[in-house]
Amino acid sequence: MENKEKAPIYKEPFKERVIKKLCDAKKNANITRELVKKNIKIQYRNSVIGIFWTVLNPFLNMLVMFFVFGSILGYSDSDPTYALYLLCGNIIFNMMRGATSQSLTSLVQNRGLLTKNKISYYVFPLSNNISALVNFLFSCIALLGVMVFVHFSTFGELQGSVFSLNILLAILMLPALFLFNYGISMILATLYVFFRDIQHFYSVFLTLWTYLTPIFYRTEKLERWMEFILQLNPMYHFVQYFRNAIYYVSSTGDFLSASNNPSFGGDLLILYLIGLAFFAVGVLVYNLTKRKYIFYI
Amino acid sequence: MVILMENKIEILDNQEIQASINEAVEEKEENIIEVNNVSMEFFLPNEKVDNLKEFFIRLVKGKMEKKKHKVLDDISFSVRKGESIGLIGHNGAGKSTLLKILTGIMRPTEGSVMVKGKVAPLLNLGAGFDNEASAKENVYLNGAILGYSKREIEHKYKEIVDFAELHDYMNMPLKNFSSGMVARLGFAIAIDVNPDILLVDEILSVGDENFRKKCAAKINELRDRGVTFVIVSHNMSQIKNLCQKAVWIEDSHMRAYGDSKEVCDKYIEYCNSLKKH
Repeated sequence: MENKEKAPIYKEPFKERVIKKLCDAKKNANITRELVKKNIKIQYRNSVIGIFWTVLNPFLNMLVMFFVFGSILGYSDSDPTYALYLLCGNIIFNMMRGATSQSLTSLVQNRGLLTKNKISYYVFPLSNNISALVNFLFSCIALLGVMVFVHFSTFGELQGSVFSLNILLAILMLPALFLFNYGISMILATLYVFFRDIQHFYSVFLTLWTYLTPIFYRTEKLERWMEFILQLNPMYHFVQYFRNAIYYVSSTGDFLSASNNPSFGGDLLILYLIGLAFFAVGVLVYNLTKRKYIFYI
Repeated sequence: MVILMENKIEILDNQEIQASINEAVEEKEENIIEVNNVSMEFFLPNEKVDNLKEFFIRLVKGKMEKKKHKVLDDISFSVRKGESIGLIGHNGAGKSTLLKILTGIMRPTEGSVMVKGKVAPLLNLGAGFDNEASAKENVYLNGAILGYSKREIEHKYKEIVDFAELHDYMNMPLKNFSSGMVARLGFAIAIDVNPDILLVDEILSVGDENFRKKCAAKINELRDRGVTFVIVSHNMSQIKNLCQKAVWIEDSHMRAYGDSKEVCDKYIEYCNSLKKH
């Protein structure tokens, strides 16, 4: 034990390292797929209608909000499209809420796996985000149902139809929202490992965030400074873009094709910039902590 | 004459050196695991700051200096292909930490580790199981974590269920399983990995008598196939039986390293001497 020279650090040849990286990526993809499957199966296990809750849940939520905000508080202004207004905002915000709040505790919850196996921990937030995306796609069935309802109830009242090719524009924003959610999820999940207070803080923050996002109120009625503050909220842009893509009623009372709206390209660019920025911070946080988190988990 | 003798000695010396160099080179090539001067430092659990209040209090007081606890101190050993090694020592001596370093879960603070080939960690049976998910889902998830593709797991699924003898329970949520059943399932998955190196942490005695025999047979089969075992165990006869070498770790230091029988006997002797006091 006398010779205390620094042992040489073993480094594999370049080719082997690349192969190893690729194998790791494949392994992580497999793990993520199984986690997503498990998440979705467990979510509604032992419930009678199972996966249909994913469709029914946003719809029932929308009805409650319609009753409270529309009928009692009078936000609807006897607008026939208010149900659609609520649902669009709600499912987008819920996708973010579901993905981030589940990811928050995901590392600590899977402590057993992480401390006993060599896994890149990002698979947990990733699988939660994919599950949230799948749930979102299911809730789009509810959205479709409400769109059919609005289509018939506004027949004759409004020119044109709620159904148009604009729906394709809505799909274009989903990758940006996914990146945004994933970035936030990574940041929160990592922070939670080091500071358990984040959980309580975030649940309060989510409430605030819900009110700072135009889900049930109309932004046109707000004062300019208020709207300016709301615009600092990234979810404002995601919700507004999605809603305007799904349907847009002009001041003359027509359903407008969103593609006529020249600002759509710019809006989309903003969404992608936001998404990429948060994603980059998430990746940075991951790389800063991937060696350390195991001691705190 | 004297000069001749001296020359001869010199030649001998040279040959010996050459031989030892050759041996060292061969050893280097054959080694499947190499642990060089590994040290590991942790923060003491009660020194950990995991909430904001604590963090700021410490920040203000300037008490963020880190109190470290050395879990492993200058550990070096190597394992050749086909050999197995046992890690022995008291609870909390640092054996499991060493296994985690070998797995790659943790990085040593100092020193280096080289591990060649496919490593299957068997650190805790059922550690990765989700109680809400069914046994089948858990098999697929665990298989993915051990590095299998979906097709490979589908291929192995029947074998795993056969080995665990849990045919009728595979669609049941794991929370309804007995702990013995969970351990059986975990063992069946882990043992079906075909690894080059199997890292085992005190799990070779799970289930009932029958299952234990089955496990022992399977392990012997793997050993005969040339799988390298790294075993943490308190069962000395098991270590003597399976391993050629052993490392005795005591209070984070390496107390003994060498032939498994010798090291185990030394350890047993030491334990007995402790009991007398």
